[in-house]
Amino acid sequence: MSLYSRLVGLFSPLGNLPSEALSYIAESLIMIIIATLGLAFMIYLFRKFMARLQLRIGPNRVGKFGLLQVVADGLKLAGKESIFPKGRDDLPYRVAPLIGMVGLILAFAVLPYGSLFWVGTVTIFDASGTSVSVILLFAIIAIMPIGEVLAGISSRNKYALLGSLRSIAKDVSFEVPMMISVLAVVMMASARTAYPLSINSIVTTEILPYGILEPLGIFVFMVSMVARASYTPFDMGESDSELITGYSTEYSGMRFAMFYMGLFGSILLGSFMVSLFYLGGFNGPLDSSLGVVWLVIKALILVLISFTIWLSMPRIRIDKFVNLGWKYLLPLSMINLILSGILTLGMGW
Amino acid sequence: MSEFVELNFGPQHPSTHGVLRLKAKLDGEIIRELEPVIGYLHRDAEKLCELTFYADNLILFDRMDYVGSMLMESGYLEAAEKILSIDPPERAQWIRVVMNELSRIAAHLVWAGAFGLDLGMLTPFFYCFAERDKILDIFTEICGTRQETNYMSIGGVYQDITPEIMDHILEFTETFPKRLEEIYKLFVKNDVFISRNKGIGVLDRETAIDYGVTGPMLRASGVNYDVRKAKPYLVYDKVNFEVPVSYKGDNLARFLVRFEELRQSVKIVREAVKKIPDGPHFNPKAKKPMMIRLRGDGEYYARTESAKGEFGVYIVGDGGVKPYRVRVRSPTFKNLSVLPVLAKDQMIADMVAISGTLDLVFGEIDR
Repeated sequence: MSLYSRLVGLFSPLGNLPSEALSYIAESLIMIIIATLGLAFMIYLFRKFMARLQLRIGPNRVGKFGLLQVVADGLKLAGKESIFPKGRDDLPYRVAPLIGMVGLILAFAVLPYGSLFWVGTVTIFDASGTSVSVILLFAIIAIMPIGEVLAGISSRNKYALLGSLRSIAKDVSFEVPMMISVLAVVMMASARTAYPLSINSIVTTEILPYGILEPLGIFVFMVSMVARASYTPFDMGESDSELITGYSTEYSGMRFAMFYMGLFGSILLGSFMVSLFYLGGFNGPLDSSLGVVWLVIKALILVLISFTIWLSMPRIRIDKFVNLGWKYLLPLSMINLILSGILTLGMGW
Repeated sequence: MSEFVELNFGPQHPSTHGVLRLKAKLDGEIIRELEPVIGYLHRDAEKLCELTFYADNLILFDRMDYVGSMLMESGYLEAAEKILSIDPPERAQWIRVVMNELSRIAAHLVWAGAFGLDLGMLTPFFYCFAERDKILDIFTEICGTRQETNYMSIGGVYQDITPEIMDHILEFTETFPKRLEEIYKLFVKNDVFISRNKGIGVLDRETAIDYGVTGPMLRASGVNYDVRKAKPYLVYDKVNFEVPVSYKGDNLARFLVRFEELRQSVKIVREAVKKIPDGPHFNPKAKKPMMIRLRGDGEYYARTESAKGEFGVYIVGDGGVKPYRVRVRSPTFKNLSVLPVLAKDQMIADMVAISGTLDLVFGEIDR
């Protein structure tokens, strides 16, 4: 049973086609709501975690334990004026935050989440739609930097321009190692499944988590995801002590909030991706119906690791950062690919 | 020059420590030319000093280096007391040494936290400020305020130090070194931190002397010059401490020198608190009703070692109750003047790191 078929069952009195259409829409809406709630919780978690790490208390006034603080902040930002700088390129300036956000939410929709008790498997496009969800996922992820670039070049601000230049450098140098390390996973999965490009079948058919088989791969992928989400040590695009906030310097109000949520969303997305590709995803010691729980636990641990990295590392310099991408991570991911090939063909893993 | 991008850092910018404005000509990410623009916090303190009594000028000095206000006070009093020919009693001098060093610790902690922020480290800032707050608590106990203390006064200190406060200070010197090492490790055990600082912004000995750089920056460039040792004032010749010197001259050297100074300051405080002698804390010649009637004659230049470097105060008195002229030699101003040399042909990120190690406090530069 999957979420989709449950929904079709619920809407069945309406007839065949309407119920299918409605359940697609409802499924997407549920996904968007869950993703947004997840982001809000991430921001709350970050603030609490940061406060604990820094000998502070963190938000504790709005709602129980400050749980509604994010809602209050969101309302505050929504009520704020969205400032439009003079001499901007109007359409890209308005659209840029949306592009990042849409890419993020879409990426969440493609991921398989395993099964959850009565609901069944929580997947949208993966199980029901496509068998090439890895490609679809990376295609969607590739949309997000466009928002950053447009924001940087359209707001007619030198800081924003420099920020977007840096974020282009970041995306170019870390996309390649990330793809190659995922390629190794796909290659290993191809030995056991007919659909090695579907994340769902990669995860369900694995014997050992790929992170154990490919320690290099998980390292390269994790570092690339840190860089992709762009927080310290790799917050090139928005290095606050150098470029104020980089490409989002001129943004305010809800448009700024979108960039801010995009940052946390990228961390959450990265954690989900690492746990799906490398840590066994929704596989866990107790069988079935708990998949979502395992996935969320793994992702949460990775999120906390990311936060710790964020809070304790200084920012790396841009040239060393690009060097790291091309001179270290790319060769490492190549070595990883070769090793996985040997494992797959020679050892029969 | 038209091929370069001109970029203004500040005065409102997260990493300019107040209101520094830097006009930079950028070639991509590399700074080809840098010009610091100052004056956004100018309050005309030197002129105001001529308009008020000797005793009242102290509050203007509190507001110069506002993170180490005790150091500023004792710097002014070094000169003012010579002009007014009033000597503080022995006890007051020892108390001043204790307060100076506590203030130096506070100032260096602010610097360490802000330097972490410049490099993108969020957490050390809070650790440093938590420790600094303990010092500010001691200041609150002793004089009622946290930052602009106004504790010392002509002829001694405003209030006597009590055994409770001494216990409090000793307790701080017990707990602080451990926390300090934690903060230190948070920085130096990080490879990224080392790579951002080692060999960056090298200030050689000759340039440092040419530009009049003093304080930890000069000592990091290999010159063993500390006013506390070279020309002891107060009772610095009676306490044991060492002056850390590094010969590398880069960011990391400045960082290490400042941290070693923190350790030495703790040592001084621990020793000086125990050595505070009994006696009056205030010279009766400068008692409260008489204070504004004190007349000063002659001129005197006093140099003291503030947290940033050699803090000089030059006072000319014409026999009146107000000074004829007060001139302040601001160490940070001299230290800032070397930034264009250090930041030339460096990347933006390095320039921010270098300006972080200068320990800029704008209350003192602009006065």
